Amino acid sequence: MEVVAEGVDGKLIISVASGKGGTGKTTVASNLALSVGYCQFLDYDVEAPNSNFFLKPEIKHVQKVTIKHPYFLTETGADFSACADFCHYNAIAALKDEVIFFPELCHGCGGCKLVGPKGTVREKDVVVGEIRKGPAKPNIDFSMGDLKPGSMRTTSVQNALDKLITKDGLVIIDSPPGTSCAMVFAVKDCDYCILVTEPTPYGLNDLELSVGVLEKLNKPFGVIINRDGIGDNKVEEYCNKNYIQILAKIPNDREIAKYYSRGDSLIDYDSSWKKKFENILKGIEKELQT
Amino acid sequence: MKQLTIISGKGGTGKTTVASNFIKLASNQIAVDCDVDAANLHILLEPEIKKEEEFIGGAVAKVTGDCINCGKCEEACRFDAISDSETDIKIDELRCEGCGVCEYICPTDAIELKAEKQGSSFVSETKFCTLVHARLLPGAENSGLLITRIRNTAEDIAGEKNIKLVIIDGAPGIGCPVISSLNGVDATLIVTEPTLSAISDFKKVYEVAKIFDIKVFACINKFDINLENTKEIEEFCSKNNIEVIGKIPYDDKVALTLSRKKFIVDSKDSEAGLEIINMWENIKEYLYSE
Amino acid sequence: MIVAISSSGTSLDSNVDQRFGRCPYFIFYNTDNDNFEFAENESRQAMGGAGIQTGQMIANKGAKAVITGNVGPNAFRVLASTNLKVYSGITGSIRDAVEKFKKGELKEISGPDVGSHFGSGGGGGRW
Repeated sequence: MEVVAEGVDGKLIISVASGKGGTGKTTVASNLALSVGYCQFLDYDVEAPNSNFFLKPEIKHVQKVTIKHPYFLTETGADFSACADFCHYNAIAALKDEVIFFPELCHGCGGCKLVGPKGTVREKDVVVGEIRKGPAKPNIDFSMGDLKPGSMRTTSVQNALDKLITKDGLVIIDSPPGTSCAMVFAVKDCDYCILVTEPTPYGLNDLELSVGVLEKLNKPFGVIINRDGIGDNKVEEYCNKNYIQILAKIPNDREIAKYYSRGDSLIDYDSSWKKKFENILKGIEKELQT
Repeated sequence: MKQLTIISGKGGTGKTTVASNFIKLASNQIAVDCDVDAANLHILLEPEIKKEEEFIGGAVAKVTGDCINCGKCEEACRFDAISDSETDIKIDELRCEGCGVCEYICPTDAIELKAEKQGSSFVSETKFCTLVHARLLPGAENSGLLITRIRNTAEDIAGEKNIKLVIIDGAPGIGCPVISSLNGVDATLIVTEPTLSAISDFKKVYEVAKIFDIKVFACINKFDINLENTKEIEEFCSKNNIEVIGKIPYDDKVALTLSRKKFIVDSKDSEAGLEIINMWENIKEYLYSE
Repeated sequence: MIVAISSSGTSLDSNVDQRFGRCPYFIFYNTDNDNFEFAENESRQAMGGAGIQTGQMIANKGAKAVITGNVGPNAFRVLASTNLKVYSGITGSIRDAVEKFKKGELKEISGPDVGSHFGSGGGGGRW
């Protein structure tokens, strides 16, 4: 499906991130997508993907994400201690008569095959997650990554999503929370990042951490304050003091929480948000042009 | 010594609120903040740092010698971390997993694995107990390793001081930080919400907890925003032998109390606070009856 | 005979550490001459497989028996494959544990006594 966002010249990648989890990243990302209408949407929060509940895509393709795990032909009597010594993840223990392999610790680098006795280390594909892809209304090209529980290969699944990013138009990326590698993976290619936070000490603490990441990566960004009114004014004071633009404030409203709980969108609850999100996009484009 | 980890799958469901209030209610305890990339436990506990240690993370590949642009490393790297190896080699440190394959394969020994400071870990004193916590540098990797390290430190201190209980605030998601927070604990409490997103993430994180064969408790935060979903969670729990030990009502006072840096269990008129006290009594009974 | 004991410190007055793979030190006690030495357990900071590496380290040091708190399934596999005798569930000081061992008061175990840790197989349901 060829998707080009109206009014977006060339390619524009917007990542929606937050330090603290549960501040409303997915609410912002999905409502932005629904409001603008034409875009590619990628859920990079592969450990806890939720955008599907709000965008309700019709999944047409499911692609397994695999990595290669070794198996050892112990019947050859070969000595596998070089494999165990090489493995930086302690995934291999070479004992006297057996090799114990810990699949959970294996990153699939292929090092053991490289250093082991020739022909005695083989590999097989192991599923660590999957990518689900399909259209969502009105005109959204949707993809999500879903990490297999028990696997630590978060970035392998995110890397598979990287390969799906289209060449043109608006791309919205729903990032995982935090400030470490999985979050950086989701913002590293963006042109602009929306940070979603809430006006509580936790929200402020984690906002400051995510601002640190974005400054290090040299990415332009703005802030959306969700559940405005619930805590204190310190997030706003922080933004003003540091010349960080507040793009919007979503009020604290038990009714919005109810909508969210069912998988209904903010723009279903209050249609004026459609215009607001469109304007947020226009503002971002304008900022990036100057 | 008993260890309890509080997790959620989805972020922002109330892990840290529950954890910090448990820490206040407990006695003879030590606290560990395993959400190392967006730590929040310190906000209410107001620790005084007694000891700081540098955290040197896993190594990543660096070009330190004379590259002859042969391209072998790029071909061998399974993490897409090396590019332009036949002209002007670049190593993407975010993608590099430190497996050592490029270092091994390089014919001129031009690549070396080097470990760098990725953050710091702290042992602190608070009004209630010792807190072991950490801070990752923005965009740093290997949070799982750092978590292993601070948990070891907490266990050492608990052993020395004959402390009976380790309370661990976990990270959101289901990936490596969560796995490292669950490894070897006695019980886990999953804090969830009656929203489609949180339920989906709850089920995923439960799959992870199952691997460890530990006692699983659940609590449903803001249970009254969607009673139908609450019922679904309870049914899932009863089918899977998960003990629901608490249902916390929606209460704006929780955020307000937090903004005043107070504990919700100290608000005598807060139903949420009372429910957390009840939950703690239940968990305590389990942990100390064994 | 050399006995390896998981220890929270470096002397005989230290306590038996309840963690096998993740204890800070091992005391290697020679029951023939009552000498001992200690070694730091370098594997303890590994993200997984600590018990395995520790098991291999102990076997390499020539120990014939292990005294510790809890042994997980992986570590037990390693120890069993190297024919080490395992005495687990032991608490108190290293000195007491050694005395009991010499008097034959410790009971050898034939299987792991704690549940699986990470790095021991298993997996998700719907995959």
